[in-house]
Amino acid sequence: MKNKLLSLNIASKTVNLGSHKIALLDKIDLQVHEGEFISLMGPSGSGKSTLLNCIGMLDRFTDGGYTFLGEPVHSMKEKNRSRLYKEYIGFVFQAYHLIDELTVYENIETPLLYKNIKSSERKAMVADMLDRFNIVGKKDLFPMQLSGGQQQLVGIARALIGKPKLILADEPTGNLNSKQSDEIMELFAQLNEEGVTIIQATHSESNAAYGSRIINLLDGKIV
Amino acid sequence: MFKNYFKIALRNLWKNRTFTTLNVVGLTAAFGVAILLAMYTVFQLSFDRFHEHGDEIYQVYTEDSGLNGIEANISKSEPFAAALKDEVAGVEKITRYISTGVLLSQDDKQFDMSTAYVDPDFFEIFSFPIIKGDTKNPITSESSVVMTELAAKRIFGDEEPIGQTVSILRDEQQVPFTVTAIVKDFPNTSSMDFDIVLNFKSQNEHAYARTIGRWDMENHEVYMQLAEAVQQEQFEKNTTDFTQLHYKNVIDNAKRDGFQPNPEGLYRQLKLLPLADVRFANFNQGAVTVSRTMPYLVLGISILILFIACVNFINMSIAKSAQRLREIGMRKTLGANKKQLFFQFWGESILVFLISIGLGILLAVFLLPYFQTIFKTQASLATLLNPSLLLVLILSVLLITLIAGGYPALLMSRLGTLQSLKGKLDVHGKNHLRNSLMVLQFGIAILLISGTLVLWDQVEFMRTKDLGFNKDQVIAFPLNGQLNDQQAIELLRNKLQDKPNILSVTASNTILGLGKDGSRSTSVLGFEHQGRGVDTHMVVVDADYIETLDLNIIKGRAFRKNLASDSLSVIINEAMAKQLNEDDILASQIDLDDAVYSVVGVIKDFNFQELDQTIAPMTLFALPNWNLRNVYVKVSSQNLEQAYTDVKAAWNSIEPNAEFQGSFLNENIDRTLRHERTMITMIGSGSILAIILSCIGLFAMSLLIVAQRKKEIGVRKIVGASVSAITILLTKDFLKLIVIAFLIASPIAWWAMSKWLQNYVYRIELNIWMFLGAGGIAVVIAMLTIAVKTIKAATSNPVDSLRTE
Ligand SMILES: Nc1ncnc2c1ncn2[C@@H]1O[C@H](COP(=O)(O)OP(=O)(O)O)[C@@H](O)[C@H]1O
Ligand SMILES: [Mg+2]
Repeated sequence: MKNKLLSLNIASKTVNLGSHKIALLDKIDLQVHEGEFISLMGPSGSGKSTLLNCIGMLDRFTDGGYTFLGEPVHSMKEKNRSRLYKEYIGFVFQAYHLIDELTVYENIETPLLYKNIKSSERKAMVADMLDRFNIVGKKDLFPMQLSGGQQQLVGIARALIGKPKLILADEPTGNLNSKQSDEIMELFAQLNEEGVTIIQATHSESNAAYGSRIINLLDGKIV
Repeated sequence: MFKNYFKIALRNLWKNRTFTTLNVVGLTAAFGVAILLAMYTVFQLSFDRFHEHGDEIYQVYTEDSGLNGIEANISKSEPFAAALKDEVAGVEKITRYISTGVLLSQDDKQFDMSTAYVDPDFFEIFSFPIIKGDTKNPITSESSVVMTELAAKRIFGDEEPIGQTVSILRDEQQVPFTVTAIVKDFPNTSSMDFDIVLNFKSQNEHAYARTIGRWDMENHEVYMQLAEAVQQEQFEKNTTDFTQLHYKNVIDNAKRDGFQPNPEGLYRQLKLLPLADVRFANFNQGAVTVSRTMPYLVLGISILILFIACVNFINMSIAKSAQRLREIGMRKTLGANKKQLFFQFWGESILVFLISIGLGILLAVFLLPYFQTIFKTQASLATLLNPSLLLVLILSVLLITLIAGGYPALLMSRLGTLQSLKGKLDVHGKNHLRNSLMVLQFGIAILLISGTLVLWDQVEFMRTKDLGFNKDQVIAFPLNGQLNDQQAIELLRNKLQDKPNILSVTASNTILGLGKDGSRSTSVLGFEHQGRGVDTHMVVVDADYIETLDLNIIKGRAFRKNLASDSLSVIINEAMAKQLNEDDILASQIDLDDAVYSVVGVIKDFNFQELDQTIAPMTLFALPNWNLRNVYVKVSSQNLEQAYTDVKAAWNSIEPNAEFQGSFLNENIDRTLRHERTMITMIGSGSILAIILSCIGLFAMSLLIVAQRKKEIGVRKIVGASVSAITILLTKDFLKLIVIAFLIASPIAWWAMSKWLQNYVYRIELNIWMFLGAGGIAVVIAMLTIAVKTIKAATSNPVDSLRTE
């Protein structure tokens, strides 16, 4: 068995809606090891995004334990959490979330800027990434000038540039046609081969099949 | 990183070019104007600050108990300065000072020279450095003259001035003077303004010789340098014995007349006025008041205008931040922390501010000549180029960008990652801030507009008020030539006699209003009447004075045609008659030292002084061979321009070398309103700018609101709302803000303006319409501003607006 990447220990998230509490995530127990490719499935509203956001430390569990690479995330300060996810986690979103005002090149470069990486090193890393995704010719275009599939490629390239251990993908193909969708999933599979751990949320059975493990969510509970 | 920020900043500014332009235009205008106004303030406040010993220099004045409480007086007598230095400890140096105009000739050229008559200490007290000639004792000799570089240049051109002889007209004789020294041209922030300096003793008989040893003839000012070890208050206290000794009769008279002494029980108190305060001191109304309101008011206006422009910037930045939520969220997930986001957004603001300040400086440079002309000021941008001042300016600019740019940046950097990614922004609280800021903006605009309206009303009132004399048909000018006054008047009468458009000619020692030459004098006479002290303005006139000015005789008669036969007669005004308090005024006499004069007539009160003063007691004398510097010519109302030309031609033929400085009395009156007019122009342009800037902000807000509510508008139209209903829906929120602004600003404006009007004895009544007018103007302009966008939105096809969603 490989190293343990993260573990959730009866982790819950509740929110107060007016007077009553609602549990968005209910006592989740989950261990993820390095090299896994997990597909989160469940109907709309079942809590997939919430779970991904909490794992990605954009959001917090309100109860239970969360350990990432042996560090207790649940008791960490905001600053340390952000150091952790900056270093180890890459995000891919359904709506791509590229920055409209930046070119393809600059979008991919941005995470490196926040990691204070030297300019020459940055250039090399971005050039590699552009090469690998076959988008060198598009590097000076703005997101609006690309198709959805191409935008998601850029999104993935950006998530990968920081050499994360874990990629969290929230319905990465939700806005794409099936051909584009297959290409993206192939890419994920290949990345996973190379050792990147991936957790993706999806509706589609065929996408879920790319994963090595499927977890089903319903009303915030693992079923 | 920086490059990335810079790029994204430029791209964002370009993408939102409408808003960028609105912001840059507004901020540029505000910075440009603020720079000019700050410059003006600094210039005004730096007056007379260039003297090395400035902090120790004082003007000496007295505070006397009078009929109407404390009266301040800066005129001193011939023996005063020397005696003060001798008898009271602490006078380091002292000088008498009188400023006047003289006629100087060199070869066959003549020059009008403004002249300061001073004592030798003058050059040691004040920093008017001598750059050439006798630096030690330049005016110790009574035949020495010191001149400024400029004056020397004017007279001698490139010739060496030192040692040259010029002649100066004094008591109708050309008196030779030798140029002994040249002083450096002084900064234009000097209140003392002279071409040449002469020894105090070089004055004419009337001004000097006649007054030697006399404590009762006060005709000049005194400045002194206080010894460093002595405090101002202490010195003032120490003068008590001096005052008791030399002004015993003044004090006795005050006691006899039952005046109230000051809190220390003194009837006359010597006081010192710091040099820096002299320019801002008012001696006209009771005790001396030093007021720097005007320069600070100007500074205040510039701050208000900057504030308005910054509010626009803040409001637009916050409103636009909704469009950048996704970027903020994304950057956070990519690892940006709050600090980095703050600096990114703040940096963008700084960029806008830097561009605006740059353009603002250019604007200020471009507007400077117009500004100097309109406000008759020599202030220049060099005024601001002083290291400590520049530091203050740079710090204030930093502070402004920190607040205006930093606040929205702070809001944005604090947003939660997930909320911003989802594009949701809790906008409720922020609208409060926006609304309050807009209320403030319009409040300021309304305040300034109503201020302008009231000021303008008051000035119009003063300009058009019936002052009790004929100001429309009378031309006045100074006798500034070589002939003596009586000769000149005689010649002028003869010249103008047979011209049908000239009705009458007269002269007097005082001028009404302010003439073209800008000089003015008053003489006040005090004497004893029925065991009481009586003060009166003394006006010495030539024949036909009453007729020329159309003054109304209410009792008795005017002076006779044969003026010599009236040399012991006086005519008084109603205020004087009241003061004399006689049963049969025409049978009364006044007893001056030299002679007894009979009252032969009483004229109706007229405003011979400005309208901030009540009509004082005044007495007309018909003394022979008196200095009658000002000629008054009444012309027929048919062709005023022709008449002016005729009078000018007559004067030019009599005194070919003298400039004709004639103007109609109504222009003279207008000249006295210069201060008020400057204020109107300042506040007026401030209010125009304020309303324009506020409307730029309003326009931007209406663009954003219409964009935000596009879908709502579409739905409402489909449901059946009319164009007017939708226009009202979109406008009423803004209208509400302006009404609130009006309700807040009007009472403040009312209070401020009624306070200002207190300065004038003759003043308009404030009425609600001036303020409603200001509010109305603001509402109308604001509505026009938003009408374009809202009506367009209201009339657009609803299907379009829904489709774009
Ligand atoms: N901050 C929140 N407050 C209240 N309800 C929330 C919040 N975030 C998500 N939800 C609700 O929680 C449920 C789960 O949402 P989500 O995780 O987005 O589901 P999924 O991604 O599986 O569609 C939904 O019903 C959503 O409305
Ligand atoms: Mg989801």
